[in-house]
Amino acid sequence: MQRKAGPWFYLFLIVFVFLVMFPFLWIFLTSIKPLGDIFGSPFAWFGSGISFQSYESALTTRPLLRYMLNSFIVSGATTILAIGCAAFTAYAVTRLPIRFKSVILGVVLASSMFPPIAIISPIYDFVTDFGLRNTYPGLVIPYITISLPLAIWILATFFQNIPYSLEESAKLDGATPFQTFRKIILPLAAPGVFTTAILVFIAAWNEYLFALTINTKDAMKTVPVGISLYQSQYSIPWGDITAATVLVTIPIVIIVLIFQRRIVAGLTSGSVKG
Amino acid sequence: MSKRRFSLSEKQLGYAMVAPSLILIAVIVLWPIMLSFWNSLFDYRLNDPSLSQRTLGSEINMERYADNYDFVNKTIEEILAESSAEEVTNEVETIQQGINERHNTFLSEGDHEEKFNEVLETVRSHYAVKDQSLKYVSIDESFKKDYSTYLTEQSESLASLSSEQEGAMATRLSDLSGQIKLMDSSFMKENFVGFGNYAQYLQESRLWQSIGVTTLFTVVSVFFELVLGLAIALLINRAFFGRGAVRASVLVPWAIPTAVSAMIWKFLYDGQSGVVAHYFEQLGIIQDAGQLLTTSAGAIFSIIFTDVWKTTPYMALLLLAGLQTIPHQLYESAQVDGANAWNRFYKITLPMLRSTILVALLFRTLDAFRVFDLIYVLTGGGPANATEAVSVYAYKVLFAQQNFGAGSALSVIVFICVAIISTLFIRFIGSDLMAGKQKG
Repeated sequence: MQRKAGPWFYLFLIVFVFLVMFPFLWIFLTSIKPLGDIFGSPFAWFGSGISFQSYESALTTRPLLRYMLNSFIVSGATTILAIGCAAFTAYAVTRLPIRFKSVILGVVLASSMFPPIAIISPIYDFVTDFGLRNTYPGLVIPYITISLPLAIWILATFFQNIPYSLEESAKLDGATPFQTFRKIILPLAAPGVFTTAILVFIAAWNEYLFALTINTKDAMKTVPVGISLYQSQYSIPWGDITAATVLVTIPIVIIVLIFQRRIVAGLTSGSVKG
Repeated sequence: MSKRRFSLSEKQLGYAMVAPSLILIAVIVLWPIMLSFWNSLFDYRLNDPSLSQRTLGSEINMERYADNYDFVNKTIEEILAESSAEEVTNEVETIQQGINERHNTFLSEGDHEEKFNEVLETVRSHYAVKDQSLKYVSIDESFKKDYSTYLTEQSESLASLSSEQEGAMATRLSDLSGQIKLMDSSFMKENFVGFGNYAQYLQESRLWQSIGVTTLFTVVSVFFELVLGLAIALLINRAFFGRGAVRASVLVPWAIPTAVSAMIWKFLYDGQSGVVAHYFEQLGIIQDAGQLLTTSAGAIFSIIFTDVWKTTPYMALLLLAGLQTIPHQLYESAQVDGANAWNRFYKITLPMLRSTILVALLFRTLDAFRVFDLIYVLTGGGPANATEAVSVYAYKVLFAQQNFGAGSALSVIVFICVAIISTLFIRFIGSDLMAGKQKG
């Protein structure tokens, strides 16, 4: 039932959005305070002036830009690999006359439920034996465990919603099954593939456990691990941490702002029947 | 355009398309979980050379053995050349003889001599031995015991001899004692313990406490996320101005890495400069701003509160999408029939949302039970293990203690819990989850 939105509704909305965004707002305000104010008057909304001291320090004490580059390369490679394999699988499972479909989907679903901690030690042994610690492939390979089941699951929903009639007429025109996939289905599914890619990218960008154990060298760390290790043993440099957090949150906010419609479509496709 | 000769039939193409993903899943998901289980049956520790392999029978680490054998011989030669004291010369000569005797017996067995020489060459040119069948060689159990006891004894007697000597000779002798000890550590201990690791953990209160904490965290945070998420979804299920902006702002907490949001909240909860802790103190929710992260109740509250903040908006989005698929006519005719708001919610909304809610609950519960980043970064499992979830505990045993055997047992326990939860849920959801994905 569509009700009209009154002033109370907008008031509620503003309070809700404020509560959700408050931590980011506070982190941003803290990051531009002069260092003395962060510890001197921590609860004041605004400092005695605007200072970029924290940003300078965040970028020079740790290789923050390097962390972001690492995260970008690892997540990008993971996304390409996962989407490449998943597009084929999702198509075959939804469209082609193969057997054991429910078994295949069951295995995919089950592996998306695997707790990463349950496989971390053999993966660590494997990555160490092949000399892949502190390399990009050393993370991309384990990330398949997270990204591939996710990608297959979401893509299967998108493929399912493409009308069959197009495929049938392609078949009648003499296209091979692979031509049908490449020339008919893929272009039609492109928006869905793109949405899936965004979700897989975000999942890989956010991964922590594998990144923490496998890439321990500072130059090879990813963003989540790098940020969580900004603190030293004795003091916590809140200025640096808030500035670094703001810097790494910006790309995510941009992605979310641009693609919010697609992200929501992707998130809900797996759990809501249309 | 058509290259008929290369075309596969639909069926063949289907299997070819499924194969790469299934192989990848088998190799990096299913195989590792079996290895984890296999590891959990051993007393397997990375930081103890004699336990750093899963050893079923009697084995020797040839790389370590050859390397140290070389060192021991060199040191013995040097001592014999330099020594003037008769008791030193005598003792060291006896040891040299004793070791060589046993060494030769060792080499005379099977292809040991061949393997030893190959490994020695590799070690001398400072390469690592990659070939596992060269590196770990099985040997006779009673011979191993004899050799190992001999080395232990000699290492001890050399240590006491070294304490009687002075200057360079004392250092030389204590070096030799240490090298012999290292040589001894090349004998691998048989470390198969069966279900010993499990038996030990099931009696341990720390494991039960961590399972309790994980369950509490999962139940409470998923409950609040669902109730608040549903309330918010019902409220914002209408046309309003600024939909896109609200949706985007709601997605941000979900999209940023959990580790990063844990750092943000660590700052907000901080006893000295944390603004949330400060306001909570002002509102009288807590007595002292420091309590949030330093008392167990405060720390558990903190992780749950952060998780609810991060996930409620996401839950609301999922449920909102479900709400929007419910046809308006249902509500209109119910209103005509005189059903009040509560009845409409109870009789129409909830049943129509059933599968959305169950699927969202399944994924959220599993996610919450696997919690790692949030707790590891925000509290580190403290204070006094009060917030130590099972994953965090397993991680500490695996990587801080380098105890891969016991740690694997813990990680298999996490796996079993997750398997039980998902089986229960899938019983409830039934085929809803798979519906529509396998037609055609």
